[in-house]
Amino acid sequence: MMSAPVLNYRTRGWMRMSVEKQDTLLKMAVLSLAAVLSFSCRLFSVLRFESVIHEFDPYFNYRTTKFLAEEGFYNFHNWFDDRAWYPLGRIIGGTIYPGLMVTSASIYHILNWLNVSIDVRNVCVFLAPLFSSLTTLVTYHLAKELKGPGAGLVAAVMIAIVPGYISRSVAGSYDNEGIAIFCMLLTYYMWIKAVKTGTLFWSTMAALAYFYMVSSWGGYVFLINIIPLHVLTLMVTGRFSHRVYVAYSTLYVIGTILSMQISFVGFQPVSTSEHMGAFGVFGLCQIHAFVDYVRSRLNKVQFEVLFRAVISTVAVTGVLVLVVLTALGKIAPWTGRFYSLLDPSYAKNNIPIIASVSEHQPTAWSSFYFDLQMLTFMFPVGLYFCFSSLTDENIFIILYGVLSIYFAGVMVRLMLVLAPVMCILSGIAVSSMLTTYMKQIDEVKTEKKKAKFEGNYFMRSEIATFFVCIMSVFLVMYTLHCTWVTSEAYSSPSIVLSARGHDGSRIIFDDFREAYYWLRHNTPEDAKVMSWWDYGYQITAMANRTILVDNNTWNNTHISRVGQAMASTEDKAYEIMRELDVDYVLVIFGGLTGYSSDDINKFLWMVRIGGSTEKGTHIKEHDYYTPAGEFRVDKEGSPTLLNCLMYKMCYYRFGQVYTEGGKPPGYDRVRNVEIGNKDFELDVLEEAYTTEHWIVRIYKVKDLPNRGA
Amino acid sequence: MLRPVLLSVLVAATAATNTLVLVDTLATRETHSIFLKSLQERGHELSVKAADDPSLQLSRYGEYLYQNLVILAPGVEEFGGALSVETIVEFIDGGGNVLVAGSRDAADLIRELVTEVGVEMDEEGAAVIDHLHYDANDDGQHTLIAAPSSGLIDSEVMVGSKDATPLLYRGTGLITDAENPLVLPVLRAPSTAYCYNPTQPITDYPHATGQNMLLVAALQARNNARVVVSGSLEFFSDAFIMASVQTPQNERHEKSGNGKVVEALSRWVFMEEGVLRVVSVDHHLVGQKQPPIAYTIKQDVEYKIKVERLVEGEWKPFIAKDLQMEFVRIDPFVRLTMTPSSEGVFSVKFKVPDVYGVYQFKVEYNRVGFTRLFSTTQVSVRPFTHLEYERFIECAYPYYASAFSMMIGVFLFSLVFLHHKEPQKTKGD
Repeated sequence: MMSAPVLNYRTRGWMRMSVEKQDTLLKMAVLSLAAVLSFSCRLFSVLRFESVIHEFDPYFNYRTTKFLAEEGFYNFHNWFDDRAWYPLGRIIGGTIYPGLMVTSASIYHILNWLNVSIDVRNVCVFLAPLFSSLTTLVTYHLAKELKGPGAGLVAAVMIAIVPGYISRSVAGSYDNEGIAIFCMLLTYYMWIKAVKTGTLFWSTMAALAYFYMVSSWGGYVFLINIIPLHVLTLMVTGRFSHRVYVAYSTLYVIGTILSMQISFVGFQPVSTSEHMGAFGVFGLCQIHAFVDYVRSRLNKVQFEVLFRAVISTVAVTGVLVLVVLTALGKIAPWTGRFYSLLDPSYAKNNIPIIASVSEHQPTAWSSFYFDLQMLTFMFPVGLYFCFSSLTDENIFIILYGVLSIYFAGVMVRLMLVLAPVMCILSGIAVSSMLTTYMKQIDEVKTEKKKAKFEGNYFMRSEIATFFVCIMSVFLVMYTLHCTWVTSEAYSSPSIVLSARGHDGSRIIFDDFREAYYWLRHNTPEDAKVMSWWDYGYQITAMANRTILVDNNTWNNTHISRVGQAMASTEDKAYEIMRELDVDYVLVIFGGLTGYSSDDINKFLWMVRIGGSTEKGTHIKEHDYYTPAGEFRVDKEGSPTLLNCLMYKMCYYRFGQVYTEGGKPPGYDRVRNVEIGNKDFELDVLEEAYTTEHWIVRIYKVKDLPNRGA
Repeated sequence: MLRPVLLSVLVAATAATNTLVLVDTLATRETHSIFLKSLQERGHELSVKAADDPSLQLSRYGEYLYQNLVILAPGVEEFGGALSVETIVEFIDGGGNVLVAGSRDAADLIRELVTEVGVEMDEEGAAVIDHLHYDANDDGQHTLIAAPSSGLIDSEVMVGSKDATPLLYRGTGLITDAENPLVLPVLRAPSTAYCYNPTQPITDYPHATGQNMLLVAALQARNNARVVVSGSLEFFSDAFIMASVQTPQNERHEKSGNGKVVEALSRWVFMEEGVLRVVSVDHHLVGQKQPPIAYTIKQDVEYKIKVERLVEGEWKPFIAKDLQMEFVRIDPFVRLTMTPSSEGVFSVKFKVPDVYGVYQFKVEYNRVGFTRLFSTTQVSVRPFTHLEYERFIECAYPYYASAFSMMIGVFLFSLVFLHHKEPQKTKGD
């Protein structure tokens, strides 16, 4: 009854609004919808499972956040964790990027101060979706600075649902990347602003945003290289100006000093080669500005002479100094990580621990399409539009796009850096094209006469309409694809697994938590648990037990020692386990359920890492293959493999179990073979617990035999 | 950590000790009366039973009825009641002490039992033969060995003070499991001895010869339960204890050494001698009383451990000069000999190494004949907190000076720059 007049009033209000106001309202509406969308489409996992932390690293972040929220910043900063990396321990405060924890702890405290009771876990679970909403807003502003509000809106909507970003920021995926993308785009936005205006204010803001970025993700190195590269490109193209000078000098000086306040970063900004580019460009800036000043004071001929003389002396001395320093060993050679960026196979051949992480693998072509869909094709179009009207800020986005597409090709996880620029460039492309063609649809009506004379534009309006329709279809497809990918691929919290039964019903495997809670309630408080490093963070966070190695793979030899234990025979392994005071051993086994990322499938990495250090030289990868070079667990498998500790722990008592109809007992459903070594007993271990679906198996290390050997 | 075993030792020492003696025939009670009587005199409640008595049992409702078990029944084919090799092994793993005597004709059961403690008896019928060390009373087969006392293990706690009296022995030879580090050679055979069936011609090389053969072996299990195995039942008999010895070299001794050794050995095996315990462990910073939650690197720490020894049934302070403490993180970073006090408190002061991590104070004291002392206490050693670093270091003064002069300089410069007026301008006005 009341609604009709209200509606009427509103309609009239809408009509009465000026064009600018309508424009603002529309923008606000689109943006807020995009922000809400980006939040809500990341909630699949919470709705399907529960409000739970995902994966591995987030468990560590959750644990540290809880500590920070309870103990305060200084205790957090000085936190020495004796539960991890037994018996080495880990200085948590000095080996993490605290931005994420500080952010969520502050949100937690503010909300509680406002009497909104929320526990730390929920803050952690929903932090990433919250920050992706903020990213949406920042993307709008960034793209607006580059091309205009239209491009900004399209880019914002695109980034709200782009799977490449969602994969790292679903609810529960509480990781550094969740806020780092926001920080990165914020810094870019501030930087573009600073370059455009040349004011100290925006440069300082950029430095502050950079500080936030440094505090939250190791990927800040990308940022501190791309900005100097932008400046360098501006210099080379002759676009260097006072604006750029002010912006960069301020950003570099303040940003570097601030970044050194993060104890994990420490003196790296002035000592490592990754940061030298930024420093060099800072120096060049000063020289360039000085040269400009000198040039303005001298006439052309004088300047030429001076310039040549100075350049040649500087070049000669520079090369000499460089040669001498390198010869004396004062300049550190390039580090392994740098090589691995240039040559993707470097890490694989030389540092097994880096190569073993699945997200460090080179990206498959298909995953580009999977994660970005139509953006893959719109990206070059966006580049074209940027080139067609070259400005200082467009050069930046071109550089960003080209570089990140290279890096995303090297490492899967850097897809995350690529996704935003893909969205921005596609936003520019889509918006520019739509603007062109939408105009033509309108124009036709008003300028029909004119069209007659332009033969090229035959059926101009129809083509334009057709084009707009196609574009809309593309955009709708993009939306559908993104939603589908998010729902199917990126919304499962790997801590709880689910599968489809024969009748299509959903089966939940909650074995991980079952096992961790068993450890928590049935083992002594100071028990030491050995497992492969993947499960370290989860064990400390959920089982609250001491572990030997975890996902912070800082000590290669220690991980290698665990790898050696897993890859050795029982006797050898027992020596290592005694040396490290191990009480329990935990393995992940998927043979019964068909869970494929289990320890047998990861086993070759344990062999490689175990054999990579001095103490493990007796462990050779080829011993674990069949003579034909295959990795098999059936009768053909190598005897070394069939008798190593990992094999025995996974397949203990498995030989008597029927897993699949019509198959012999001991049929492994992951490897699809009948296992080769069935009836064996464990000498130095005893089975302590095996979960419902056998995914987690826990063994207790026996004491030395009471009456001697 | 105070091991539960040590607690049970405490109980054993104060309450009357229950000892079960299993015999082949009750006649053994007479032939071994000196040995049994000495046990009784030392406070053992002896229950002497036939080894095949159907009422035998070691434990009731999960608690052991006896602390010690003496098996003087080499001929038993099968234990009576609830007793079996498994239950005896369990008894040892549960902290019980066992003394087993075999003979030339020891039954398989006894052989099986002794293999469980890392000792092997030679084949049935085989006897230790020595053509150089035998007693004058020998029947001509040279199986009554007069083993020189130099073959005794070098431990006063186990076999008493040594003298030159030879020991009489008649029975089978023992071989130890080379891979078992816990077996102790209490009495080695003379180097000229070998083990073979004396009534048969020697066709192949004897299993046990010379010094590799043991006459009496002992095992102190990891839970400190003690086991003594002898290949000769008569070794403990009145006849051998009272006998005089005359060697082929015409050395004559009025009385064999058996009495003394049997006495000492039984004291050892039944936990009356050579028993140590850790009473308390205490560690703290030098000058403080309570241990901190975690130590910081380079701090000065004091570690104290109180050790007691059982003497005549009472706990007395233990004093030794070779007790060491290790501060271990995988490898020992610090290893120091501790100084004892008259109250049995060993203490040591040291500086925590400049390496953070989880450490253990470890005291491991393994001496032949003594219970294993083992104590480990886990502590964390943390790095400096942000306030504990040196704040002003001398060599940084030039940098401080340069930083501050720069700041003042920029401040002055900006003052001048902002407030300086070009002289022409004033002229122009």
